[in-house]
Amino acid sequence: MSIEVTNVNKAFGSFKALNHIDLKISTGELVALLGPSGSGKTTLLRIIAGLETADAGSIIFDGEDNTEKSTQDRKVGFVFQHYALFRHMTVFENIAFGLKVRPSKLRPSKEAINGKVRELLSLVKMEELAQRYPAQLSGGQRQRIALARALAVEPKVLLLDEPFGALDAKVRKDLRRWLRKLHDEYPITSVFVTHDQEEALDVADRIVILNQGKIEQMGTPEEVYDNPVNPFVYNFLGNVNLFHGRVHNGKVEIGSLKLDIPEHAKKDNKEIVSYSRPHDIEISVEDEGKGFIPAEILFIRALGPVVNLELKRTDSGDYLEAEISKERFKELELHEKQKVYLRPKDFRVFIPEDYVI
Amino acid sequence: MAGNISAQYMITNDIKRQEPKTMQLILISVALIFFVLILIIPLVAVFVKAFEQGAGLYVFSISDPIALQAIKLTLITIGFAVVINTVFGLTVAWAVAKFKFKGKNLFVTFLDLPFAISPIIAGMIFILLFSTTHGLLAPLLNAFDLQVMFAPAGIILVTLFVTMPFIARELIPLMEAQGTVEEEAALSLGASGWKTFLLITLPNIKWALLYGVILTAARAAGEFGAVSVVSGHIRGLTNTLPLHVEILYNEYQFSAAFAVSSLLTIIAIINLVVKNIADWRIKKQENRS
Amino acid sequence: MPSKLLKIRQHSVIPGFGITMGFSLLYLSLMVLIPVSMVFLNSSSIGMTAFWETVSSERVLASLKISFATSFAAAAINVIFGVLFAWVLVRYSFPGRKLIDGLIDLPFALPTAVAGISLTTLYAENGWIGKVFAPLGIKIAYTPLGIIIALIFISFPFVVRTVQPVLESMDIEAEEAASCLGASKLQTFYKVILPTLLPAIITGFALAFARALGEYGSVVFISGNMPMYTEITPLLIRAKLEQYDYAGATAIAAVMLVISFTMLLFINVLQWWAGNRDRSV
Repeated sequence: MSIEVTNVNKAFGSFKALNHIDLKISTGELVALLGPSGSGKTTLLRIIAGLETADAGSIIFDGEDNTEKSTQDRKVGFVFQHYALFRHMTVFENIAFGLKVRPSKLRPSKEAINGKVRELLSLVKMEELAQRYPAQLSGGQRQRIALARALAVEPKVLLLDEPFGALDAKVRKDLRRWLRKLHDEYPITSVFVTHDQEEALDVADRIVILNQGKIEQMGTPEEVYDNPVNPFVYNFLGNVNLFHGRVHNGKVEIGSLKLDIPEHAKKDNKEIVSYSRPHDIEISVEDEGKGFIPAEILFIRALGPVVNLELKRTDSGDYLEAEISKERFKELELHEKQKVYLRPKDFRVFIPEDYVI
Repeated sequence: MAGNISAQYMITNDIKRQEPKTMQLILISVALIFFVLILIIPLVAVFVKAFEQGAGLYVFSISDPIALQAIKLTLITIGFAVVINTVFGLTVAWAVAKFKFKGKNLFVTFLDLPFAISPIIAGMIFILLFSTTHGLLAPLLNAFDLQVMFAPAGIILVTLFVTMPFIARELIPLMEAQGTVEEEAALSLGASGWKTFLLITLPNIKWALLYGVILTAARAAGEFGAVSVVSGHIRGLTNTLPLHVEILYNEYQFSAAFAVSSLLTIIAIINLVVKNIADWRIKKQENRS
Repeated sequence: MPSKLLKIRQHSVIPGFGITMGFSLLYLSLMVLIPVSMVFLNSSSIGMTAFWETVSSERVLASLKISFATSFAAAAINVIFGVLFAWVLVRYSFPGRKLIDGLIDLPFALPTAVAGISLTTLYAENGWIGKVFAPLGIKIAYTPLGIIIALIFISFPFVVRTVQPVLESMDIEAEEAASCLGASKLQTFYKVILPTLLPAIITGFALAFARALGEYGSVVFISGNMPMYTEITPLLIRAKLEQYDYAGATAIAAVMLVISFTMLLFINVLQWWAGNRDRSV
C-alpha cells in the first residue's frame, strides 16, 4: 500500500511540531524518518498511524483518504518505541490479541489464530518462548514480539517508532540486519523513525531527513550521503570538516588554497562555508605548492583498518579531522606533532546567508 | 535491571552507613513500645473484653435480632458503596489519568473534599438538603411523602459521600504511571475502546481496584460520625454496626459492645491483609514492566 | 467532537473522555459540590451578626481551642514517632518488621467507634493502662489527655506513610557524599536527610492535623464531652444538631470547612511544590 502525506501541519501549543509536510511512499518501500529529537519525526509517524491528529493536511492510503479514520480502521501495524507489550499477557496472547479482538464475524477460528501465531513465532524465531511473559524477555526479544504482534493483523503498512532505540549496540546491529532481511522477504510498506544516521543509511531504501518540523531532504542513502542539499544534512549524516573562506571569480579561497566552484560562479566576494568529509581529506607530507593547507597532527587513532587523524591548521588555527587507510598511513610514516599538508578532495560550498543551521 | 543495581547498593550500604547497634536497638525499642501501647493493646483489648463474660454472651450479642438488623443494614450499605464507587472510581480515574486537560489539579482537589471534611459536617450537609423540616428539598420530599434522613436511604447517601474518593485515589496514580501506550497499542491492533478497557486497562489495575474496593467496604462498614448524624438511631431500622456498638456501650453492656466491635475489627484485619497482598502484587507488577 | 472541548484538553486517540468526564462532573456536583455548598448557603442566610454571635460565643471558642490544641499535639507527636517508624522500617531489619509495616494502617481500617470504646476502656481509671497512671494522679480518659491519645491513634499512619516512600527512594549517594565530605552522622541527618524529608513531614503533619480536627467517633467516647473542658468542635456541632439548632451548627461548620479547605489547598500546593522541586533537580 502506498502512503501519501499532503501538507500536514501539527502544533502542540505554540510549538510547531510539523510544518507543511509532503511525502509520498510507494508500495513495498522501506523508508526511514531521520532527524534529531524534536524534529517531528515521531509525530509524523503517529499521525500516519492515526494515533495523533494533524491540524491540517491529509493522509492518503492507496488513493483513499484516511485522514478522518480512527487508528482501529487504518489497518496499520505500529511498533512502539518501548514495545508496549501487554504485560499481563503471555507472548502468545500478545501476538494473538489483534485477531482475538475482531468482531465475531471477522474473527478467524481459534485454530486459525493459533496457526497464525505459531507462524509468526517461527518467523521471529521465538517458538519456545510462547508462554513467557514480556517481563521475562530481553529487550531484543521484546522488540521481535512487538513486531510479530503488529504483523499478526496483516497490516498493509508497518510503522516502527525508534525500533532499535532502547537496545544495546550489538543487539541493535543484529536486529536491523534481520529487519532488512524480513522486509526483503515480506515487502510490506514500512516506515521507521530513527535519530541514528548509521541505522537509517544501513537499513532504509529511502531516507527522509527532518529538522524542526520540516523535510530537509529525501532520497536513497547514497543520494543523501553523497549530495547533501544543505549544511544541516551534511552535518547530520556523519562527521564533517568546515572550511571558512571567500568566493572570488568562480574560485573559492580557503587560506592559500584556491579551488574551482562552477555552481557559485556568479557570486562574488562572499563569505562561504565549505564542507568536506574526513575521508575526503588528502594528506601529504611535503608542501606540494599551492592548493595545500599546512597543518599539524595533534592525535592519531590507529585502531582497525582506518586511521583517524586530528589536525590543527597552522594558518587559521581551526581543528580538522581526517581518515586515511592503514596502508596510506604506513606509507606516509605519520607521527604526532608532525607538520603535514592537506587538501579536500571532495567538498561542497554553501553560502551561509542562504542557510541557517 | 535497575532493581538489581539498587539491591546491590542496599547490601553495601547496610554495612557502611548504619548507626551503631546500640543506637539501632534503642530506636527500634522506642518504636516497638509506642506501637504496642497505641496500636496493639487496643486491638487485643477488643477481643479480650468481647469474651470477658464468656462465649455464650458473645454469640448471643452478635445473633440478637437487633444486632442482625444492624449487620444487614451494614451489608446493604457496603453493597451500595462498593458498586457505585467502583463505577465512579473507574470513570473518574479514566478521565483524569488517561487525558491531559486544563483544571486537572483543581478537579482532583475536589475529589479529595470528602476526606477533608469532618464526618459530622458530612452528615450535616445532607440534613441541610434532605431534612423534611429544615432541608432545601423539604417541599419536594413532603410532596411525595419521602423520608431520606433518619432512614436507611440517608445512611447509604452519607456513606457514598465519605467513601467516594477511595477507589479513585487508588486508581489515578497507578493509571497515570502506566500511561496510555498499551491502550494505544491495542487500538492500533483494531480493538474497540470498550475492549481496550476490558482487556488491557482493567487487568493492569485489578489489584489497585480490589484494594480500593476493600478500603471502601471497610470505611462503609465502620463509618460512625456521618452516619450517626443522619440515622436517627431507630433501633431495628436505622442502626448500622458502629451505631449499635455505641448504643450498647452507652447502656453499659460493655461485653456486648465489644462483641459487636470484634466483628468490625475482623473486617479491619481482613482489610489489612488484602491491602498487603495488593501492595505486593502491584509492586511485583511494576517490577515486571 | 465540539471544538470547545478540544481547547480544554489535548487531543488523544484514547476514547471516552467526554462520557467519563461528563459523568464524573455530574456525580461530583450532585454528591459533593452541592451538598457542601449548602453549608455556605445556609450560614450566609443567617445574617452576619447572628453568625458572628454564634461563632464567637464562649462555648464555641473553647471548643475550637480544645480542638486545635489537641489536634496539634497529636499531629506533633505523630511527626516524631512517624519519622522514627519510617526510619526504623526502611533502614533497619529486625524480626517482625514486615508485620509491623502491615499493621501501621490499622487505625485507617478500624472503625473509629471501636477505637473509641477500646481506648476509653483501657485508659479509664480502672482500665489496663489507666490503672498505672491513676496512682500518680494522672487522669487520662475524660480529660484533654484522653482526646490527644485518641487523636494520636486515628492519625498515626499519615506521617509514616508520607515519609516512608521518600526515605525509600532517597538518593544514597547524597548521604555518602556528605560523609565523604566529613559530616558526622548527626550532621548528615540534619543537613541532608531532614531537608529532603521536610515536604513529606509537613504533608504528613497537615494530613494528620486535618484528620484530627474533624475526628468524632473515637473522641466522643473518651472525652466525656464536658463543655468548656473536653468538648471538641465536631461534638459541639453534633450537640447543636440534636437540639435542632441548625443555624448554630451550620455557622460553626462553616468555620471548620474554611479551615479544612485551607489545609487541603495547603497540602496540594505543598505536594505540587515538592514535586516540582524534585523534577527540577
